[in-house]
Amino acid sequence: MSDHLQEDNHTRAARRALFMEGLPVVTLGALALALGSGPDPGTTLRNGWLAATTVFTLSVVWLLVRAFRRADEYLRRIQLESMAVAFAAVMVALWLATALAAADVVDLRQVVPAILVAGPALWLVLADLRTRWHR
Amino acid sequence: MKNRLRELRAARHWSQADLADRCGVSRQAINAVETERHDPSLPLAFTLADVFELTIEQVFLPDRPSVDR
Repeated sequence: MSDHLQEDNHTRAARRALFMEGLPVVTLGALALALGSGPDPGTTLRNGWLAATTVFTLSVVWLLVRAFRRADEYLRRIQLESMAVAFAAVMVALWLATALAAADVVDLRQVVPAILVAGPALWLVLADLRTRWHR
Repeated sequence: MKNRLRELRAARHWSQADLADRCGVSRQAINAVETERHDPSLPLAFTLADVFELTIEQVFLPDRPSVDR
């Protein structure tokens, strides 16, 4: 049956909206990255980088909230469950890193950013895998 | 929750995407309801029943022992 080949209008519209809204956000991210990549940025450049990064972070949150609101009840449940698993993983990892830092095994300042980046990545991968698994 | 979505859909020659479009949800949601991995909310259950022009009881079957009255 052609069930798995056909795409519904809901998914198509959601993907189109995410692309249209995501494009300026990605551009802003690239701008923030470019502003912060200088070896010795002056005060103006530094302030510009801070402003661009703040706006970029807020727009990523706005993008995620919009995508979440657009999702139907099943996809929203998948997102929430994946988010909960990722949040739990980040909590356990932070707790472990703090314990290891107390024992002078790892440097907390180096480990924490990696954990904080891995959290949302785990969330997105889990949500994607769960929606792909049962096609 | 057990349901007759696949059977009703097949009778009308609708794909999961067709039914999803009629209900305003994603195809994954229809697939999840059909394979009993997701119990639909009451509004979605009513929409599904409306699309097939049936009542909820004719589309969804409770998978619990019958209650003695």
